[in-house]
Amino acid sequence: MHIPDGYLSPQTCTVMYVAMLPVWATAVKKVKQALSTRYVPLMMIGAAFTFVIMMFNVPIPDGTTGHAVGGAILSIVLGPWAASICITIALAIQALLFGDGGIWAFGANCFNMAFILPFSAYYIYQLIAGKSELTSSRRWIGGLVGGYVGINLAALFAAFEFGLQPALFHTAGGTPLYCPYPLSKAIPAMAFAHLLVAGPVEAIVTALLVRFLQASDTALLDIAGSAQPMTGFSKLWWGIIGLIILSPLGLLAPGTAWGEWGLEEIKQLTGKTPAGMARLAEKWHAIFPDYGLPGFDKTFGQSAAVYILSAVIGVGITAGLTYLFAKYVAAKRNEPAEAEKGTISK
Amino acid sequence: MNKTALPEWLLESQGPLPKTAGNKWCIRRKGFVEKTVDELSRLMQEEFYAEKVAHSPGLLQEIHPGAKVITTLMLIGVAVSLRSWFVLLFLNLWAMLLVYLSAIHPATFLKRVWLVVPLFTGVIIFPSLFNYVLPGTPLLVITDFGHPVHLGPWTFPEYLAITRQGAAGGIVFILRVGACVSLALLLTLTTRWPALLRAFKLIYVPQVFITVLEMTYRYIYVLLLTVSDMFAARQSRTVGRTSTSEQRRFISGAMGSLWNKAFNLSEEVHAAMLSRGYTGQPRTLVRFQMRRLDWLWTAFMVAVSLIMLWGDRIIG
Repeated sequence: MHIPDGYLSPQTCTVMYVAMLPVWATAVKKVKQALSTRYVPLMMIGAAFTFVIMMFNVPIPDGTTGHAVGGAILSIVLGPWAASICITIALAIQALLFGDGGIWAFGANCFNMAFILPFSAYYIYQLIAGKSELTSSRRWIGGLVGGYVGINLAALFAAFEFGLQPALFHTAGGTPLYCPYPLSKAIPAMAFAHLLVAGPVEAIVTALLVRFLQASDTALLDIAGSAQPMTGFSKLWWGIIGLIILSPLGLLAPGTAWGEWGLEEIKQLTGKTPAGMARLAEKWHAIFPDYGLPGFDKTFGQSAAVYILSAVIGVGITAGLTYLFAKYVAAKRNEPAEAEKGTISK
Repeated sequence: MNKTALPEWLLESQGPLPKTAGNKWCIRRKGFVEKTVDELSRLMQEEFYAEKVAHSPGLLQEIHPGAKVITTLMLIGVAVSLRSWFVLLFLNLWAMLLVYLSAIHPATFLKRVWLVVPLFTGVIIFPSLFNYVLPGTPLLVITDFGHPVHLGPWTFPEYLAITRQGAAGGIVFILRVGACVSLALLLTLTTRWPALLRAFKLIYVPQVFITVLEMTYRYIYVLLLTVSDMFAARQSRTVGRTSTSEQRRFISGAMGSLWNKAFNLSEEVHAAMLSRGYTGQPRTLVRFQMRRLDWLWTAFMVAVSLIMLWGDRIIG
């Protein structure tokens, strides 16, 4: 479910980042309040834990293996806000260190796996477990269902993000620019894989861990309950439901209202020239007016030749400058040693 | 050694050894324990390799991490926005030039980008080439049935073809994903992790996040080593087959005890932090300074981005 860069349009990526910002901000505030100084080491361990959990191969009855995200168990043990931070950190390390998931798509990945997954898993667990004893079987059943539904909802959102791409971004000729599958194909494909494999794995891992904690150390199952005051959370329910309903609308919007801020630069760079680029464009016009040399724009062949010429010049300059930078850096590297010697002799 | 000191059963001749993975007719599927141990060691290998590259002399290693983070974000943004295969191809080739100038072994880099991208992205994009999945103008007709094909409740067109839209979209898609992966890999391979994290300060990532990331990175390896030990211990004590339910019990036990250990560790780290005067506000001593070279590089990257977007506009 780690979406790499290039699958989603820059507009969608930006919308997903914007959608995640309030979640991150609220999560940091909430968790800081509840845990004060304990927060940094606990988040750190939680993040390292989900990272490592993702490395565990879990045997599946047919003989193959799958791996869990660990988001559901984390949200049950630490509460959804803390889990959200932990998963964000784990995803950041995966994206930056191991190229698992894109950098521009990071907002979208966090939205699916660090927001939808822990929150849905947590509230389903709470709904089923209720106020039951810490050792009650309602607890692990809650974990089982929460993990299953959580990961499938996250996959559903990922499918939404994929599926909206061909409808929103394609060339005039109908060539899809990003992920080519419409909602009608993206959703069944993602649902199939997650309902059958990833969902059961996450469910089993969550349930087994809850049972293990019930048997070994019930106090750990109650960290969220004892450390975080859960009162103000009922109001947040409505906020979260609102966000969930609104987020796909936000995805649909980039073509119109959302385009007015932030996205505008990216959107326009591909389409029209923004104000900031106007001056630069004038400079180019001075050399190749209307992207062609004067007098060379009569036939298609001529203008094509000019296009190729400008492409060759652009490519040549870029590659040449890159090479010069390398030369300069290499020269610089030898320099400090001499400069040091110079100061000593003075 | 005294022969009689050995127990009887150890002295018995065993006959032929059972078939193992060494026998080419017996393809043994790796168990979940071995798979996990393999994955853990591969992860550490990759990390060691990245650390080695980040220390070797090269172009990108000399650029300020802050400048690299900002320009990489910008370039990936450009790559995601590009629509012409020609400009994307250029971007990919240019990334390879950067690989060469940054003293990264090109074959290793190519393997990590162009073996993985076509494998995963290619599989995903493959069905979209055909008109059965996505309708479009036919480019290459594979079979012509002469009549619409009925398959249960579905009706398919009379010919199966690769569409112009599917092919064009597929090429652009793979080139774009390849470019994004290359650029991100260039950043992470040529920058040491602590420097990379500090650079995030420049794009307004809160210090708390950076501190947690720094510590997480350190403790991931502590936990990975713990898990690796657990699995190796388990594997070396396993004889014969184990049932799925037994395996699952082991996994849940391993995860659970890992969680217990991790939680205790966090308490210890917390106590250590408090005893060193931590008040909830992380502080760092390092200050960053951009040199002239870094500003020049940033300006150059902006120019490259604009050239590519401009090229994309006239070609695409």
